[in-house]
Amino acid sequence: MERFGEGYLEERKLVKRWSGPVPALVSLVLTLGIFYLTWWIFQDPRGIMRMYTPYVGYMYCRWWLIMMIWMVYIFNFWPFKRKWLETTHPLVKGAILTTISVVILVALIKGFFEGLLGNYGLAYFNPEQLEKLPGVTSFFAIEYSALAVLMFAAIASWLSPAWVVAFEEAPWQKLKQPAKGFSILMLTFFLSTIVYFVTMHPHMGILYHPWQYFTSIAPPYWEQFADTVSGNFHVSWIMCCTVVVWLVETIWERYPFNLIKNDWARRFACFFGIIGIALAMHFFLYFAQELTWGEAIRGTRRAFAPDWRWLHVGEMAIFFLVPALFVTFYCDNWPKKYSMPVNVLLRTVVTLVGAIALYIVYYKTSHMFLGTQKGFSHPQQFPMIPMIWLVNIWLVHHWFMDNWPAWKMVPKTVEEIEADHVAHKAAIEDVRWTPRFGVGLGAGVAMGVIFYFVTVWALPSVYAAVNIIPGK
Amino acid sequence: MSDNMKRRDFLKGAATGVGVGLLGAMGLYSYSPMREGYFPETERKMTDIGTCRSVKVTNISETSWFENGVLMGDIKGAGGLLVNQYDYNWPPFGNGKGLGKGSYDEGIAKIKHLLPNRLEEAWDIIEANSVHPENAGGYAALVEVEEMDGNKRKFLLDVGWSYKWCDECFKREGIDKMLENKEIEALFFSHEHFDHFWGLPVALKYDPEITIYIPEGFYPEGLQYIKDCGHTGKLITVKSGLNKVIPGMASYVFAIPIICRVYGEQSLYFNVADKGLVSVTGCCHQGIIRFAETAYNEIKYENDKCHGIYGGLHISPFDDWDPKYDDLVISLGDYGFERIGCNHCTGVLCAKKFIAAGYPVVEGTAKFRSKDKAYLGNGDTITFG
Repeated sequence: MERFGEGYLEERKLVKRWSGPVPALVSLVLTLGIFYLTWWIFQDPRGIMRMYTPYVGYMYCRWWLIMMIWMVYIFNFWPFKRKWLETTHPLVKGAILTTISVVILVALIKGFFEGLLGNYGLAYFNPEQLEKLPGVTSFFAIEYSALAVLMFAAIASWLSPAWVVAFEEAPWQKLKQPAKGFSILMLTFFLSTIVYFVTMHPHMGILYHPWQYFTSIAPPYWEQFADTVSGNFHVSWIMCCTVVVWLVETIWERYPFNLIKNDWARRFACFFGIIGIALAMHFFLYFAQELTWGEAIRGTRRAFAPDWRWLHVGEMAIFFLVPALFVTFYCDNWPKKYSMPVNVLLRTVVTLVGAIALYIVYYKTSHMFLGTQKGFSHPQQFPMIPMIWLVNIWLVHHWFMDNWPAWKMVPKTVEEIEADHVAHKAAIEDVRWTPRFGVGLGAGVAMGVIFYFVTVWALPSVYAAVNIIPGK
Repeated sequence: MSDNMKRRDFLKGAATGVGVGLLGAMGLYSYSPMREGYFPETERKMTDIGTCRSVKVTNISETSWFENGVLMGDIKGAGGLLVNQYDYNWPPFGNGKGLGKGSYDEGIAKIKHLLPNRLEEAWDIIEANSVHPENAGGYAALVEVEEMDGNKRKFLLDVGWSYKWCDECFKREGIDKMLENKEIEALFFSHEHFDHFWGLPVALKYDPEITIYIPEGFYPEGLQYIKDCGHTGKLITVKSGLNKVIPGMASYVFAIPIICRVYGEQSLYFNVADKGLVSVTGCCHQGIIRFAETAYNEIKYENDKCHGIYGGLHISPFDDWDPKYDDLVISLGDYGFERIGCNHCTGVLCAKKFIAAGYPVVEGTAKFRSKDKAYLGNGDTITFG
């Protein structure tokens, strides 16, 4: 029977061409080089296409991420055959798959959002419709439209992978491609539409003067709770969801949800667990800003404005994604030698340290080479764009190009695949309830709570000592 | 069960528990009212900057550019709001290579020999080499402070952009004569933006020795431009924070990034006897609420009251809108300002929203190319005290 790309990522063996950390370092240097070259061509305000306006560049960047998720996670590389994936040179494969992802991307944005929705449904998806309003300049018409389109992307980039990671493709997991892919695509797109209408549509509705009371809820229902009418409140938790999905899928190996034996209980626990963890990040990262910069003041601008603080929560969250993916893609999800919970904890610590280091380095230096501006809170300072752009480069490299050239792809044998399944099952079964596990769990909870309050206590002085941007 | 097994089970439980405890605390505590116990009580510094009897502001020009669509078209064409302002190829640094291909060095080389005295000749060259020179206007204001003994002192806040437009405005308001007569004792730059700073030769034509105060954060091109314009007086770089100027007047520098690759903004505070705090701004990129909050935390002022505002409040300079601006419109009423004279980058739409919200906006006359009476326009004045 003809096989497409189902199980391709799990059933490929990436063999290092050199020993030790050399392949990871070579890949890092190579991908950073590609990142910088493409950043200059497409995004950099000093470069060629200058799409970092910022919303236009962000829109394409964000949807490109989703295109790759659709192609790999939802459609399992369909219509490409397994043999083609296994035998084609990574450079050729990378070029063809990347081109396809970009073609779908442009068709979706220009055809579906601007052409269909923007002309026949919601005017704010099409800049030309917005420009018909008195006083709206072409630049801001494009920015508003890009904002709406990219907000849809933010939601879809959480829900599309979440259905695979949390719901394990159910109830269509046994369908063949492309039926499975289309089923998941339709459902996740439908859910994204609902979430969009109850989170971002009211934000777009009050962009107009007077507020569009007849078409959107104004002022938005979250005003009192979030201390702002801005939809950035939702950007924050949705970004956290996007990041947590990938933490669960990569460095956490879906732990601890994979301990739940009942299929539907596990799926629901994982889906809503991702939201729960994301909300914890959402609230804590806001609190962290209050601790370091002081309380937000409604109505002000920049770093003290609640709307920017919520946006910055999402920006901080994205810094966690980069080291987590690096650990998984280029460090073979190191470490693996301990029990699953201990491995997960150690990887989380590594990711946390990496995220903090990346955050500091980014804000200290990015304005020197990315064409962004010095400071945290500039309206056009969007670390999400370079971070997701880098993630996109890594996805092309890891998913489409099998980490070439530092790794070589070899299909696993049937025995190797079976051994993987057995080992994975054993790792899960290794974690079971015993009295000592219960004692450890209780002690761990206490340590976690203590660690939280120590962090809260130390954060203001640690932040002041680091002094990321002198003068701030 | 062996000890090793027991230890492994404990570790597995502990590793899991750390995550549960940490995430649980993050989720339940971080946005709860209990967290407010961690916020330090803000101790007001109550720095005494003295008092003055009154402050009068004359709007020399608030029309920094004349057509939003043209300016935003340039910005869009050149690559957006993050492009270095010296690269747009706007006047006076036109090099003839077109939009987005400018540079300070190439632009200034064409006109440096004519600065600051032969500005008409310089402008002819600029018009031939720059993108949309006809759209350039500028922001500048004359600030007259009446001291408690009745003595009046004059300061300039910014000098606009177009040499041609600014010279016309200076003559209209008599600024040229005041500079020639050394009646104006200093020029404060709010920030390095083109529309506030690039008209510098017009001021130096009449008084090249004038003392200039710039906020910390000017880029090398900006510092070089001050020299290339022929400035021979004292140049003072003001550090971030509060800086007393004369009794009743202080400037405050905010270390903030601004569009078109600019950093730092300086605004002015006045303590007007029996009235309260008056804030005068160039663009107020820091935000009027932060400006008022900073005053509350730093300065002692009459009646502990915010009395007035003048200037660009940088809310919707291109008549763009964002829900966060609604946060400002909703919140501004909490600060109790009694006189609001806004223009320039405030945005006409925002000024109208202020009026609709019942705020005490002092309306203007819409003369000399100012577009709407909701703004305190070109040639209009406002007095506090």
